[in-house]
Amino acid sequence: MRVTYNWLKDFVEIKLPARELADKLTMAGLEVVSLEEKEGDFIFEIEITSNRPDWLSVLGIAREVAAITGAKLKLGAAKEPKSLNPKTKNLGPKINIENKNDCSLYTARIIKNVKVGPSPEWMRQRLELIGCRSVNNLVDITNYVLFELGEPLHAFDLDKLDPEKIVVRRAKPGEKLATIDAQERNLASNVLVIADQHKVVALAGVMGGKETEVNEKTKNVLLEAAVFNPLIVRRSRQALALQSESSYRFERGVDLEMVRKTSARALELIKEYCGGEEVTFGLSGLTKVKEAKVALDASYVAKILGINLAPIKIKQMLTRLGFKIQLKSKSIFNVGVPSFRQDVKQQVDLIEEVARIFGYARIPVSLPSIRPDLTPEKRRGLVSEIKNMLIGLGVNEAITYSLIDRRGLNSLGFLVNAKPVEIMNPLSQEQEVLRPTLILGLARAAAFNLNQKQDYVALFEIAHLFRLEEKPAEELALAIALSGTKSFLTEQGLVRDEASLLNLKGVVETIFNRLGIIDYDFINRGASGIDVYAHNEKIGVMLGLSPQTLKELDVKNRDLFLLEVSLDKLFSFAKLNKRFIPLPKYPGILRDISFILKEELSVKDILALLKEKGQPLLRNVLVADYYKGKQIPAGYRGLTLSCLYASSERTLTEKEIQPLHDALCETLSQKFEVKIR
Amino acid sequence: MDIHAVSSQIDLDIQQVDSFEALEEFRLRYLGRKGILAELTSVIPSLSKEERAVFGQQVNALKNKLLSLVEDKQKSFSVSPEKRRRTSSDLGMPGLAQELGHLHPLTQITDEICAIFSRMGFTIVEGPEIETEYNNFTGLNIPLEHPSREAFDTFYLKEKTEGGKQKTEKLLLRSHTSPVQVRVMKKHKPPLAIVVPGRVYRPDAVDASHSFMFHQIEGFMVGKDIKFSDLKGILAMFAKAVFGEEIKMRFRPHFFPFTEPSAEVDISCIICKGQGCSVCGRKGWLEILGSGMIHPNVFKQVGIDTKQYTGFAFGMGVERIAMLKYGINDIRLFFENDLRFLRQF
Repeated sequence: MRVTYNWLKDFVEIKLPARELADKLTMAGLEVVSLEEKEGDFIFEIEITSNRPDWLSVLGIAREVAAITGAKLKLGAAKEPKSLNPKTKNLGPKINIENKNDCSLYTARIIKNVKVGPSPEWMRQRLELIGCRSVNNLVDITNYVLFELGEPLHAFDLDKLDPEKIVVRRAKPGEKLATIDAQERNLASNVLVIADQHKVVALAGVMGGKETEVNEKTKNVLLEAAVFNPLIVRRSRQALALQSESSYRFERGVDLEMVRKTSARALELIKEYCGGEEVTFGLSGLTKVKEAKVALDASYVAKILGINLAPIKIKQMLTRLGFKIQLKSKSIFNVGVPSFRQDVKQQVDLIEEVARIFGYARIPVSLPSIRPDLTPEKRRGLVSEIKNMLIGLGVNEAITYSLIDRRGLNSLGFLVNAKPVEIMNPLSQEQEVLRPTLILGLARAAAFNLNQKQDYVALFEIAHLFRLEEKPAEELALAIALSGTKSFLTEQGLVRDEASLLNLKGVVETIFNRLGIIDYDFINRGASGIDVYAHNEKIGVMLGLSPQTLKELDVKNRDLFLLEVSLDKLFSFAKLNKRFIPLPKYPGILRDISFILKEELSVKDILALLKEKGQPLLRNVLVADYYKGKQIPAGYRGLTLSCLYASSERTLTEKEIQPLHDALCETLSQKFEVKIR
Repeated sequence: MDIHAVSSQIDLDIQQVDSFEALEEFRLRYLGRKGILAELTSVIPSLSKEERAVFGQQVNALKNKLLSLVEDKQKSFSVSPEKRRRTSSDLGMPGLAQELGHLHPLTQITDEICAIFSRMGFTIVEGPEIETEYNNFTGLNIPLEHPSREAFDTFYLKEKTEGGKQKTEKLLLRSHTSPVQVRVMKKHKPPLAIVVPGRVYRPDAVDASHSFMFHQIEGFMVGKDIKFSDLKGILAMFAKAVFGEEIKMRFRPHFFPFTEPSAEVDISCIICKGQGCSVCGRKGWLEILGSGMIHPNVFKQVGIDTKQYTGFAFGMGVERIAMLKYGINDIRLFFENDLRFLRQF
């Protein structure tokens, strides 16, 4: 909403300079987003919140200026006009409103013998200052009054319609209208229209028809001032993709009690600047709104705002805003709400008015007492711990979109057997479903970085994923992506470590260990990747992307390893209560076993067998080293296991251990055909 | 001497070698002039011609193995450990450590803000991203016909059509974190002091300052004596904690359906300190959050007695705060996950 300093002065005396006034308005809730000096005037551009349609006029803003500066509002043009003579009331064209819910008041004023020409200079200048193009005196007057009083008006060329009867009704099937902007529009049946007995002449509250538009040749005018249902105007505006100053105001709600004053104000200006004389004035609908009463308890003002105001002060503030105050008891008011304040419905609405006029800045600062709540934030705490572990392991956190394309999901094939949740109104195909996996977004982020010439990419994301089950369900998940070669310096110089599935496994095992989860497993499902289990329940998947998928992601000459696990499931297995295990009293003995093993055999089975057969003295077995190379025959790999023997009762001797250790080596040779070296 | 026994002994011994001294000892034991290999070699002349050929080859293989083991170990201790420990090499060289990963800047800002409220006694609560129309709108006093309910302001989920079965309530992607207010207040009795971080969604076309997915932090307090002045006090502490002691704050009347009175909160521009610059649009102020006293209609929806209890609520955009704090000029950077971006935080 734009308004000028001088125009405001028509309605209120202003002593403040424009800049100071702008600040005051901003702090009263009329945010002045720009202030420009032009042609000896100042243009205020004000953002009006949707609850205050009464501020969409010079008069409305002037009323606010009066309230915050203490000046008196000069009603002037907005005064009850003399021409509101009851005798002329129903002499105009017959008005037929088909549904009073669509249109609560319609007035039509017939003015004859007007002379259309240029507008007076002052009017043209004011309109142009606020960004409204001057057309001719007649059109300019309807616009001028709209901005001044906030009520939309429309002028029809009386000779181009049949004034016998004006009908306010919904459009009929197949009806069309060429609007002022010269577009032929097909009218849907929910669009509210103005029609004469033969044809549609305007889209109610939105725009007039081309045929009945006033122009230089217009002699006689039908001036419409009305109130249309906000919702119906909004629907029409949306259906027709048309927005106008009129529809903007009707959608937010116009003041029914200003309709006749507005029409009279326009008549006054038309008489003065276009000549012409009023012939008749017709009206159908309500002329008054029942005054709403809201009780206000001054003590409640203190309870909500934290300030103690004398009831008399409260009364003054509200009176300046146009409320009618009656004292019910010492501190309880009965407040009459003016018709232009349909937003005020209950006590707190009045308290906001008091706070605004008093000034939010003057409300003191206090601190509430808070009862501490020590409920542990288990889930959030664990998420935070995992994030910190991951960054400690050199993995970077990514945040990718939850909405993705179905095509990309299809390329992941087997991973996505869950039905995705579909969006009814996606912005594009790129965002048509809620992701059932984090892997796609993370793989794309990794691919993006590889294509930015990153040698090594390690990313993770913790976010919700979504599945269509009985109803849409969401689950917290962790995904990790690794790709490329990590290079780092050591005392020996550069070490290059190519990312692999084992790196990924190591990262997630670190998390399992930290959460006290020891019962987990990785089961290779061949082409469909590796299933991750905890406590015999599948909690996720790990895989290297196929060449086909890599190609679709535009990844060249790299492998990309991905993992996704459900954190909701993982957390259900977490054992966070730690128990101390007494430190060993007696030293243990470390013995290594080096052997070569067929490639296809798994170390997992070997470790399991050793642990079983080595009881009770074999306390731990670790993979100490593994190698391939010249010394190892093809189809084999070399392994060194480190075995810790210990007893809680005594210090073991080499002699005691040797037979056990030999026996274990023997078992390995037999069961796994390993060759001990 | 059994050559196989020697070979496995070598394997055992080499693993114990953990220093230059030990390696030298190992070398002398096996390869020295009086070492085991020499001993083995000395046996050769006494063997038959056939035995000599086989044994000679085995000894030779053992020698090669020993040489390569020693060489490998030597490589692994390129600098004498003594020297390494005490005098060190060029300290102008970069230190050697594993490179850390980086938390996403939005996580860092969210954690920082949540920690501030946590220290003031607020509890952190999260909620689902798929919400009911009731929790997202009706429960928050946003009427059925409010423009924000329209499909171009909220993502709705496609409804399942199951053979003319009665439809359940419409589901949507929450357009703000406020539905968690409804969830918490329905379940828990006042007094309440809650902060809610989370992802939210609105169908905005993506550009430098808009994203269809973004993050919010919501906070609210309900009690018997919660006033607008308390809202000012809590938010003033918050702003100082995030933006520094010098920061100025102002509350402007505004409109939100779920609060009354409502206020938008500005901080003095952190770039120009209030003088007016391009970041604050020459205003000297930056809008950072919306707030107000919880609307009695919201309390009625969740069954909290408005005669006894009052409360305030506030909400802010995490991206906005991160952009201001870090000087980031394009919201899309948050979701592109360029490592060159992530590593800066």
